[in-house]
Amino acid sequence: MYSVVLTELGISVFNDGKLDKAFSFSNPVKEYLLVKNKESKLNELVNYLASTQRGFSVSDESLLAILKKYSIDCHLMEESELDEIQTNKPQIIVDSGFASNLQDTLGKLREFALGLSSSKVTEVSESPDLHIIQAINSLDEIDKIANGLSSRLREWYGLHFPELDNIIDSINGYAQIVLAGKRESLTKQIFEEAGFPESKVEMLSLISSKSRGGDISDINLSIVQSIAKQVLDFHELRKKLEEHVEAEMQEIAPNTSAILGTAVGARILGRAGSLKKMASLPASTIQVLGAEKALFRSLKTGSQPPKHGLLFQHAMVHAAPRWQRGKIARAVAAKAVIAARVDVYGEGLNQTLLEKLNIRVDEIGKKYENPTEKDMRPPPSFRREGGFGDKPRRREGGDRRREGGDRRREGGDRRREGGDRRREGGDRRREGGDRRREGGFRDNPRRDRREGGFRDNPRRDSGDRREGGFRDNPRRDSGDRREGGFRDNPRRDSGRNDERTDSNKKRKKFGRR
Amino acid sequence: MALEIIQEEIVEGMMKEQIQIKREKSLEDDNQSFFWIKSEGQKKLATENMVPGNQVYKEKLIIKKNIEYRLWDPFRSKLAAAIMNDLEYFPFENKSTVLYLGASTGTTVSHISDIVGSNGIVFAVEHASRVARDFLDRVATFRKNIVAILQDARKPKEYFSVFGKVDVVYVDIAQPDQTQIAMDNCEMYLKKGGYFFLVIKTRSIDVTKAPKRIVEEEIERLKPRFEVLQTIDLHPYDKDHAMVIAKFNH
Ligand SMILES: C[S@@+](CC[C@H](N)C(=O)[O-])C[C@H]1O[C@@H](n2cnc3c(N)ncnc32)[C@H](O)[C@@H]1O
Repeated sequence: MYSVVLTELGISVFNDGKLDKAFSFSNPVKEYLLVKNKESKLNELVNYLASTQRGFSVSDESLLAILKKYSIDCHLMEESELDEIQTNKPQIIVDSGFASNLQDTLGKLREFALGLSSSKVTEVSESPDLHIIQAINSLDEIDKIANGLSSRLREWYGLHFPELDNIIDSINGYAQIVLAGKRESLTKQIFEEAGFPESKVEMLSLISSKSRGGDISDINLSIVQSIAKQVLDFHELRKKLEEHVEAEMQEIAPNTSAILGTAVGARILGRAGSLKKMASLPASTIQVLGAEKALFRSLKTGSQPPKHGLLFQHAMVHAAPRWQRGKIARAVAAKAVIAARVDVYGEGLNQTLLEKLNIRVDEIGKKYENPTEKDMRPPPSFRREGGFGDKPRRREGGDRRREGGDRRREGGDRRREGGDRRREGGDRRREGGDRRREGGFRDNPRRDRREGGFRDNPRRDSGDRREGGFRDNPRRDSGDRREGGFRDNPRRDSGRNDERTDSNKKRKKFGRR
Repeated sequence: MALEIIQEEIVEGMMKEQIQIKREKSLEDDNQSFFWIKSEGQKKLATENMVPGNQVYKEKLIIKKNIEYRLWDPFRSKLAAAIMNDLEYFPFENKSTVLYLGASTGTTVSHISDIVGSNGIVFAVEHASRVARDFLDRVATFRKNIVAILQDARKPKEYFSVFGKVDVVYVDIAQPDQTQIAMDNCEMYLKKGGYFFLVIKTRSIDVTKAPKRIVEEEIERLKPRFEVLQTIDLHPYDKDHAMVIAKFNH
């Protein structure tokens, strides 16, 4: 009875339990993996077995497959034999001469395990989807920092030239003016170079001569200018990240990008943890990713489940009338999972997915063109603050509601910060359950973008907006950074425009705070 | 550099505190396993540091009579929490072999490694590569009795480098189907009569059900093959967590 046994340190051939021949691995991790991936050639072993001309029982399926390729007569061992090998492995290793004694075996196996685990960690660290996730998170992080810094810049330089704040919406343009120096030294040329339209240049020149601002010392000015420089640098970096995410998403996840857009796609990818994980999620999970808080509450209390989390940022979803959004989010999520699966298998772009989605969304638009009576009911004011689903919630007491606004805003931030940590380990994320609850609501993408404003202000059509990127005055339009979004898909922008007016109305109605 | 600083702190701390060490005997025999150390006026859990000077999760190190101990934080490790909550069975001892599923960054694994010592083995399975990175860097690289297995516990057949049967299987993977996964692993790797520790995180099984019911249901599943010895609520160290200790009858 000949048997061929694969161990971590080499392959041994036994004849009736006695060692016949041993082929040790010189680089165990590499060679073992080659066998497992059925990529080994195993010339020596094959030649030896071929010359022995016997039937062999083999301890490992991959090894079996390789040997079969070379038409060696072999079969897989019985369960009981495999069990025995499992149990006696250290002894087998010693008998094969792969290690000198049992202690040595343990040491070598441990080394092997460490090397194998390390190589897996290294391999995973190289996967492009993890890099995309880092990029999109950096982008969101930069927005947060730059928004804060931009407000500060306006406040500080505003002591010197308060009128500027109301005229220049674009933080990019504002920072460029600050870099030019004191009010007195601002010339028409500077305004022109900063890219302002003529009408604005006129206004600026007029106003800078009549400013009510105070003087600013050189040392203060130079610090303010450094801040302005930072803001501009962030703008550059942001642009780079945006382009990078876009390009990488098109490359590694073209279908997901087609369905979700590169930015929303990347954010959902980030929530899922990896493209593979995203592909294995149920569509219903994708639909509410980013609305975990509302989801858990609905599971516990039986209240309405959220209709969309991050997907709220999707152009098709937020451009739609309120009562259609849940349905569209579901359609988008369903296609997104399929898209992610196609992407995992690297099949390239499949146009029909997007076409089908468009058809479906049109259908929804027609079928639910008018809201039902239920849809028409005005949402409770609580929702205006928190805004995560379309129906009034049970069990939302008045108190909670009042507190809600602030807590929620805070929670949003914390979520961002926590983002990485959570992803680090499935467990930590789960354990975060309680903590999350303290953190407040975390479901509405708008929520945490409130302070936001590192993007263009869609409302104000100042000339410099087209330069893209930075948004104007963060203080001014706290509410709707979401529209600023990424310009991933020009087609979608039309949708966005509708949404802009829509949400502006909303903001006016509900007030800013 | 960091190491030096840490050691200074220990020496300082040692002189300031009256440290008492009481040997805690394991139930099976006279092997020492974990210790109670008086620190800051409180009785605290500790293990003897197998790799002196090495901290795993910023836990406090205390030197007494030239032996270094690592405090074992029940808020960070569920096994420690179980001990605090009157765990009656402690089969982890010198020379034990343990299969540990859900090693994470290695907090608990490191203490078990301290306990089983250089003649014991901990096969530590973890599949998330981000936490595994920390686990390798902080724990597995320094401890000669840990065999790191970066694989999915759902496929016990494919683990590399596990051999023989182990004395204890410890499972903390927070998966909805963890009981099944755990039982499959026991089937393959646990000795007859071996011990089985299962951490049940009720919220990751079903958020809608009452925690108590979930624990009961999970225990029910174990019954055909295991004798359930003790169930411990890990409150206040962990919310909605229970530890079930069972013996494998097979
Ligand atoms: C709650 S943590 C464990 C904490 C750890 N036992 C301690 O006390 O330090 C759960 C771990 O199990 C891991 N895990 C979850 N499912 C797994 C699976 N199928 N295979 C291997 N590890 C898994 C997670 O990645 C996570 O790191």
